[in-house]
Amino acid sequence: MDNLMWVEKYRPKTVAEVIGNEDAKASFTNWLIKKRREKAVLLYGPAGIGKSTLVYAAAHDFKYNVVEMNASDIRTRKAIMKMAAPAVSLSSLDEFSFETKGNLLLLDEVDGIFGQQDRGGVGAIVKIIQNSRIPIILTANNIEIQKLRPLKKICHLIRFRRVRIPLIVAFLRRICQAENIPAEKEALEILAQNSLGDVRSAINDLQTFCESRKILRKDDVQFIPLRNRGFNIYDTLKGMFSANSSVEAMKILNNSLIDYDTLLLSIHDNLPLHYKNPEKLAIAYEALSKADVFRGRIQNEEWRLLKYVFEFLSQSTTIAPGEFQPFNFIFPPTKRYLLMRTSAERTLLKTICTRIGAKCHVSQKTANSEYLPFLKIIFRKKSDQASQLAKWLRLDNSSINYLKKTN
Amino acid sequence: MNQNDAVMWTEKYRPKTLDEIVNLKDVVESLKAFLRKPATMPHLLFAGRPGTGKTTIALCIAKQLLGVSWRSFALELNASDERGIKMVRERVKTFSRYSRGSLASIPYALVILDECDQMTSSAQTALRRIMETSSHTCRFILICNYSSKIIEPIQSRCAIFRFSTLKQEDVVKHLKYVAEMEHINLHSNAAKTIVEFSEGDLRRAINILQTSAVYEDGKMINEQTILRVVGQASPKQIQLMLNKALSGKLIDARNMLYELMTTYGFSGVDIIRQMHRELFRLQHLSQKEKAELIGVFGEYDFRLSEGANEDIQLSALLAQLTRFSESRGNSANG
Repeated sequence: MDNLMWVEKYRPKTVAEVIGNEDAKASFTNWLIKKRREKAVLLYGPAGIGKSTLVYAAAHDFKYNVVEMNASDIRTRKAIMKMAAPAVSLSSLDEFSFETKGNLLLLDEVDGIFGQQDRGGVGAIVKIIQNSRIPIILTANNIEIQKLRPLKKICHLIRFRRVRIPLIVAFLRRICQAENIPAEKEALEILAQNSLGDVRSAINDLQTFCESRKILRKDDVQFIPLRNRGFNIYDTLKGMFSANSSVEAMKILNNSLIDYDTLLLSIHDNLPLHYKNPEKLAIAYEALSKADVFRGRIQNEEWRLLKYVFEFLSQSTTIAPGEFQPFNFIFPPTKRYLLMRTSAERTLLKTICTRIGAKCHVSQKTANSEYLPFLKIIFRKKSDQASQLAKWLRLDNSSINYLKKTN
Repeated sequence: MNQNDAVMWTEKYRPKTLDEIVNLKDVVESLKAFLRKPATMPHLLFAGRPGTGKTTIALCIAKQLLGVSWRSFALELNASDERGIKMVRERVKTFSRYSRGSLASIPYALVILDECDQMTSSAQTALRRIMETSSHTCRFILICNYSSKIIEPIQSRCAIFRFSTLKQEDVVKHLKYVAEMEHINLHSNAAKTIVEFSEGDLRRAINILQTSAVYEDGKMINEQTILRVVGQASPKQIQLMLNKALSGKLIDARNMLYELMTTYGFSGVDIIRQMHRELFRLQHLSQKEKAELIGVFGEYDFRLSEGANEDIQLSALLAQLTRFSESRGNSANG
């Protein structure tokens, strides 16, 4: 017995075997074998629907040698140049053989370049594309990221959609036949539906359920939880804002890898970008406010209340179903970013308020709201009182300057 | 300078003994009775609005009970600074358990826990046990704005004193006394204006007075002075933020909110209180419209205390204001 993962074992070898996305397939092969007006193509769409698979299948059909880099490779400018530059400019060893037409560069998951460590990565890729003499194929889950803009401009874009359920069912059935495992039609349907159009996850699920069984029945898969396919933040936000109902949004929420506090803040950040209509925005914010109230009530104890947080969150993003217009998502949460950026200022503020608190028997919060505004006026006046106060409160120069600063 | 070298007038003129306290007759009389027989004094819970003398009276008790070295035997904590169960466990527990048998001159140690309605309920539960086990070595004075936020078991272990808002004439009287001591010219209209703006909060009233004195630098403090000082003391960003929200620019308004919370370190409660004040100064809203907005403010004010993220709640409030102004068909020219 082999112990290959089924996703590998049954990965389509030829373009014809790749299921779904017929238009995208045609468009891609057309680009690859006819004259390429753009030097690079960007295949985008959700995970597990066959983007990379299609590239390998096409390379097989048209005899290309695939040089691949993906998100796990380091994406600094240097790393990309080192690996990709020889592939695109120098003659490959195989160039003169009749077996292959040469190299094809696959940059998988370019939206992963977005991370902090990948500085200069996008620029490096643009440069490579411009100088390339070989086909370059990029894939991404999400192309709404601002940083990918330069790439979108110079690439031929091909969109991949979720694979339709009947196609997945048929594909799962072929696997079952090959593995000699009888399966009930309903069981395969549940698995396919549960995959939300992600063929790879459907196959993984099928293998999991068949591992311990000789036959696959409907009841076996009846109660599977939605796959933890782990939506990243972009998939989550995009999925939630483009969902057609709160139920759909909830499914995405349940499958998101993002913790709910980050989610709360991110939806908060992006809400006004999604809803232009004040009425709808107010309704959405009302729901978000309730989600936050329930998050507060949980207080790390009453986790059973989490479902209300999710319900209100799902509602807040689906007030206007069908009106989703792609926009650049704000992330990471503005509040966290600002808190980081202003931490020096707040440390100073805290020092001053602690001094006031100790002398005047109040909390730092009260010091900030009840004393500070008045002290600022007093310190702007440059009076005797100001210098006496500074001495009494033992304020250092930076604190004094802070108080003198207008506002 | 007299015995007190304090420069902040709120401290300089803070009463040092219960006898100096002019109002709150009932409260003061019962507390005096306790002080005559310290052993009979239960734990105390003071509830009331800001600036009504809760902390002052707690400090008077500490000074009268523990003498000149009261600072060594009284632990003064503010729950809003160090809230949570950890603070109770670490600081309060160690302090209250410490035996003071050898120091016969004091009856017991004192823990003054200010703003304890800010404590989480689990921290309050921990506190309740400590109050029980340490009652022979230690007394607690708990201070809060809202006694309803204190868990029942603690309330039942305390003698509860409610501090009512100061009478206007008492505040005026005190302001005039301070003005006299500081040799400043305070117009009687100005005193009344201070009272209006301080909403029964004596601390705020005195801070306004002191700032006005610096502002005028020896000249007469009149109504205009007070208006200017109060105007300068209320952050402009809040007014701007309100105007942006009311003219449909929610994202701009929200950016100002972020600034207020991060750069200026304001809490959500502070901001909503200021917003509330500002809103009612807006000229273009009718009484009826303002009344309509009160309900909205109240709701979000309440949610602030229950929610997890103040910026979400306040942004939601701003979104309601934007909708409100949109539905009335015009906008404040922010």
